Amino acid sequence: MTLPFPTSAAIGDALRAASPRRDDLSWLAGYAAAFFLAHHVAAGWGGQGFYSLLYPAAGVRMALLWSRGPRLTLAIVATELAVQTAAGVIAPGQSGWVSAAIGVARPALIYGSVAWLVRRIAAGARSSLGVAPMPLGLAAVAAPIAAALIALPWSLLSPELTGVVGLRQVCASLTGFALGDLLGVLLVAPPLLWAIQAVRDGPPPAPPGRRQLAALGEATLVLGAAIGASALLIRIGLGLPATPALLAVAWIGLRFGRTASWWAIAIVAAIVLPQTAGDLPLADRLALHMSLASIVVVGYLAGSFADAQLRAQADLARRDRMLFQAERLKTLRAMSVAVIHEISQPLSTLAIEAKHLHEITVSADPEIAQTAALIDRKAAALSTLVRRLRRFGGRAVDEPSALPVSLLVDTVAALTRPEAKAARVTLEIAPVDPDLAILGQEIELAQAIVNLVRNAMQACDGHVQLTVDRHNDRVALVVANQCHNRKSAQPGMGVGALVARAIVEAHGGTLERATHDDGFVRATLSLPLAGALA
Amino acid sequence: MNLPASHADGAGVYIIDDDRDLGAAVARLLGRHGHVAEPFLDPALLLSVYAEAPANCIVTDIMMGDLDGFGFADRVRMIDPAVAIVFMTAWPTTANAVDSVRRYGGLDYLEKPLDEPRLLAAVAEGVAWSQQQRAVRARTAGLSTRERQVFDLLVQGHSNKAVAGHLALSPKTVEDHRAAIVAKTGANGLAQLIALAR
Repeated sequence: MTLPFPTSAAIGDALRAASPRRDDLSWLAGYAAAFFLAHHVAAGWGGQGFYSLLYPAAGVRMALLWSRGPRLTLAIVATELAVQTAAGVIAPGQSGWVSAAIGVARPALIYGSVAWLVRRIAAGARSSLGVAPMPLGLAAVAAPIAAALIALPWSLLSPELTGVVGLRQVCASLTGFALGDLLGVLLVAPPLLWAIQAVRDGPPPAPPGRRQLAALGEATLVLGAAIGASALLIRIGLGLPATPALLAVAWIGLRFGRTASWWAIAIVAAIVLPQTAGDLPLADRLALHMSLASIVVVGYLAGSFADAQLRAQADLARRDRMLFQAERLKTLRAMSVAVIHEISQPLSTLAIEAKHLHEITVSADPEIAQTAALIDRKAAALSTLVRRLRRFGGRAVDEPSALPVSLLVDTVAALTRPEAKAARVTLEIAPVDPDLAILGQEIELAQAIVNLVRNAMQACDGHVQLTVDRHNDRVALVVANQCHNRKSAQPGMGVGALVARAIVEAHGGTLERATHDDGFVRATLSLPLAGALA
Repeated sequence: MNLPASHADGAGVYIIDDDRDLGAAVARLLGRHGHVAEPFLDPALLLSVYAEAPANCIVTDIMMGDLDGFGFADRVRMIDPAVAIVFMTAWPTTANAVDSVRRYGGLDYLEKPLDEPRLLAAVAEGVAWSQQQRAVRARTAGLSTRERQVFDLLVQGHSNKAVAGHLALSPKTVEDHRAAIVAKTGANGLAQLIALAR
């Protein structure tokens, strides 16, 4: 990854991108309230040299960063500074307030950077670490640790800030800080993110089938056994073993995914945390929270990994289906080429003989002459069609040539009319000025326009217009269709429009799509006119 | 090789296509436009009889059974370099179109269903080219081997002296050969000799 040296323009762009948009403001206001609340809830687990061994505000921060994007980092820093100033943690003007402000701003900045970095790396990753929700899991673990590590030099250089003296206390302080953030992020961020997603996309379909019940039974059994085993070991005085719960949570995560593992984690946390809120010796509290943190991290990563695996498998299955589809299309293409060949052979004979028949019957009985002329005309039309279809299906690349727009439109009409008829769509094509010509590859441009017409036919109300107009030295082909009911869901994958755009742009043209007030959707394909046709 | 130029008068055209009806239809079409046209189903059969009855132009399909149009073109050219060949196909590809003209000396590459005016133009051009080739061959047929060598160098623009140098002859001998060439071909000077060789 290369980070180019930022120019002033780049910094300006970055600042603009980092400033919150209007729809972010309500999120930030909600964040301010949630942060304030969570920050004060955490005080129950506070201690000498660190704020808390459980810091849910970090989870709220991670949830906002992940759902709205790391671009909000600076806005989040500003919000936290404002909240802490209002709460009196930062008292501007008093001694040490700058250090206090830096102490408040630093974690948010580091969280934002980690979220950004993890997304960057995940976007380019080929392994299952790049598959959602694995990146979130990594960021949730990496951000608290990074924040603690980066705080280390500050703590050593200015001990007066935290009131922590000596290496032992510094280590205890930072361990507490990291533990508090880790627990806060992993306990709070996932349910917040699920809630945000549920509000945005509607609740996820979760019919409690037999399989879900079986899973619930198995998870309850495993977790219950683990908790029971720990309780037994504590009862007979063998310390406070975390291993049974760790194994149980890992098992549940790997078997049933992130949601299940989070619930298991939450249950374990609900048992452990009330005990550490009191005045336990620091060493015991740290040990308990460290055990809890390892259970939480292992459980959450195991769950995320299982979900990522599932998603990767689903992706693979989808890709397989697309491959089958492509294979079928390939076969279909081969078949149509064969059919065209089979037709072209007898059609050659038919066209030659029909033309001859037409020529020798010109002066015969008018009825015979008319019939012969009709046969000749139809055979000739069929021959043109076969040649056109073959050129369209073939791979031949022709040189760009001066191309009458009327010819192009004729080709498009011939290729799309049958489909329009089958789909009960009226295809209305306005007459084209025969003098208009463009420079280009006929087959490619025909493909582009056919794609636009087909999209229009699929999108709307059974009426598609194709018109051609001249604007100075450009020609505009407009494909229009009216949409009464705004259904945005279209069959197909949107590849047609992409291909059309690529072709048009390769010809020095532009493709624009606009929905007008009259309900018409217009795709306007603008191409430079060639000189007058010779 | 000494082909009877007299046959050219008939403007003979052969059509090879494994579709009997199409071959016959094209033959009748060409017949209506003044050609003596004969359809063949099997290129091998035509090859076996070609030497006795060479044509001016052959219109051949490309995709055929054992011997394809290109293979046939190579074989028939070995028998008669002065025949014009027009290819037609129902499986047109850019590569074949280029090959048919570049490598196999085809005059045109026609796509089925056939474009009638283009077919007629190609056959007319082929017949004219073939007749001219045969005329030249007939007029230079009487040259001896040595005279042929001198003729080939002269029409490339070499002077008598240069030709003498090339062939290790005396300029006097070259002049004698040149006189013999002019006498045998009936050409009137170097310009006409060059025109003959084209």
